[in-house]
Amino acid sequence: MNAGGGMDGIDRGPGAGEIPLLTVEDLTVGFGGGEDGGMSIPLQGVSLRVPRATRMSLVGESGSGKSLTASAVLGLLPEGARVLRGSIRLEGEELIGADERRMRRLRGGRIAIMFQNPRASLNPVHTVGGQIAEVIRVHSGAGRRESRNRAVDLLDQMGIPDARRRASDYVHQYSGGMAQRAVLAMALSCRPDLLIADEPTTGLDATLQQQVLDLVIEQVKARGASLLLITHDIAIARQTCEQIAVMYAGRVMESGPTEEVTAAAANPYTAALLKAFVTVDRGRMYAIPGTVPTLSGPLAECPFADRCEMVGPECRERVPELRRIGGREVACVKA
Amino acid sequence: MPLAIYISRRLAYMLVALFGVSLVTFVVTRVLPGNPAYLIVGAMADESTVAAVVERLGLDQSIYEQYVRYIRQLLSGDLGDSWRTSNPVSVDIGARWPATIELGSTALVLALAWSVPFGILSALRRRSLSDRLANAVSGLGVSIPEFWLGLILLLIFFGTLEWAPAPIGRTLGEVPAHTTGLYTIDAILARDWEAFKAAAAQLILPASTLALVVGAPLLRVTRGFMRETMASHHIRSARALGIPERSIVLRHALPNVLLPVSTMVAIMYGYLLGGTVLVEFVFAWPGIGKYAIDSIAASDSIPVLAAVLLSAITYLFVYLMMDVLHFVIDPRTRT
Repeated sequence: MNAGGGMDGIDRGPGAGEIPLLTVEDLTVGFGGGEDGGMSIPLQGVSLRVPRATRMSLVGESGSGKSLTASAVLGLLPEGARVLRGSIRLEGEELIGADERRMRRLRGGRIAIMFQNPRASLNPVHTVGGQIAEVIRVHSGAGRRESRNRAVDLLDQMGIPDARRRASDYVHQYSGGMAQRAVLAMALSCRPDLLIADEPTTGLDATLQQQVLDLVIEQVKARGASLLLITHDIAIARQTCEQIAVMYAGRVMESGPTEEVTAAAANPYTAALLKAFVTVDRGRMYAIPGTVPTLSGPLAECPFADRCEMVGPECRERVPELRRIGGREVACVKA
Repeated sequence: MPLAIYISRRLAYMLVALFGVSLVTFVVTRVLPGNPAYLIVGAMADESTVAAVVERLGLDQSIYEQYVRYIRQLLSGDLGDSWRTSNPVSVDIGARWPATIELGSTALVLALAWSVPFGILSALRRRSLSDRLANAVSGLGVSIPEFWLGLILLLIFFGTLEWAPAPIGRTLGEVPAHTTGLYTIDAILARDWEAFKAAAAQLILPASTLALVVGAPLLRVTRGFMRETMASHHIRSARALGIPERSIVLRHALPNVLLPVSTMVAIMYGYLLGGTVLVEFVFAWPGIGKYAIDSIAASDSIPVLAAVLLSAITYLFVYLMMDVLHFVIDPRTRT
């Protein structure tokens, strides 16, 4: 008998009782790098865990790799990009290298995504209801009439008045806020376990942003789904999500419970982001000096070293690994 | 906006455009050197005979008076007489117009058949063999003058391989019973397969010449719009929600591509129906283009005017038809 193994022969490691809904481990993605060798590495070992029925934000400046991480999870990396290393698991099932048919069923079925710019996210030549119905039809095999009715119900649940009539309208007849509600309806149409919302309120009027955000939270909660909210705005992250992961230059710098992280940032980059957003409220802008480094190869030092106020010689020696400190994980040698 | 108002407004624009075309053409044909009176009475006629003819035709009047007279004549349905053929222009055109329609329509169908599918395919598979081939063929099509291409095709298929018949008009066999004036269609209607073969054999080379010339820009436009559409946000969204690739291309992308491409098709069809002067000349095709060029060579301005007006009307009419079609199928124009 195999005395050393677990009950089912699979060693899930410490704390394996709860398999997270989504696990991203050491995800490294490279661009280019053919014979000419000029490869850039926009994701350098990203690690994330999104538990079931949890809202997690992925925060960072543009170019930090948030959206690319989402694309990788969906198996839809842009042309020329490929996964060099790492693992993406949905409830333990490895998605990297999964065949296209399997991925297609997961997309929209178990992992759904909504993007910014909702009006551009809908096809101009098909009715809004028809597009939602198609997603339902593709994933559930429901008939035309049934999927149509479900699409109308969903629009209604998202607070679109006169949903049956509006379902026959085209996207150019929708306002930005309405379109984002419709996009949310489409993303939630097949009851996904994970909704990725990529800057869902960017580009909407300030008054609408809160409404749409509240709706996303409410609907995700009601369905017992998890949310991965991608945003550059740490204030939005703080207000909406229980968990936070701060990304910088293709790496996770700090992650953990939002309250804990935002109350006392352990990573100087998180602290700088918080300072930048909090000081806006007091009428003065704080800007983090310098710019995000371009990732033309593997790093040899902390990516934030050049911009960090607390930088020391030890920061230049190697890339800091994510370390568990209390309830959070931090990539900083000083933490 | 209701369709009826839309169409009547467009018809009003058409009248304005036609007025402009008639004015410009009239002035240009009248200021050209050469006295058409000699055409009628012969070069050896004496002064007084010539003067009488000039007076009868109104050529001694001011150009303004001549124009008013011409328009009045047009409005009463009289296109005038050709001095060269001594037929009423309406009779000449009635005999030649079907030849141009048959050639132009066949060329358009052939052009659509190769260029649109090829354009879509090469957009979907960038840098593939079909993309490179499409590049080469369309590059050839847009850069080779059509008469030159016609001559080369004649050299190969008539001169060397002897697969095609001599380029001397519309048919070398029996002219089929007159129903539509399009020989191939008439032959089919009469179930006269011998006549059909003879007519089609005459048609294939000039139609192919035009199909390559007209198809080349169509391919480029199709490919361009297809690439643009496939990179659009709504396609990314549809893909991220698990819509199968087949539906992405056929249901989501294609309608968005065919709308702008159809505008280009209308332009091309208008051009073809206006009489393709050079190709008709090379293949001795008795259409409107050849009629116009023969008339110009003989300083016979009335048929030239009629041919130009007919060409303009056709152009505007095809364009109107395409706009009406867009009005019906594109949801964005309806509101």
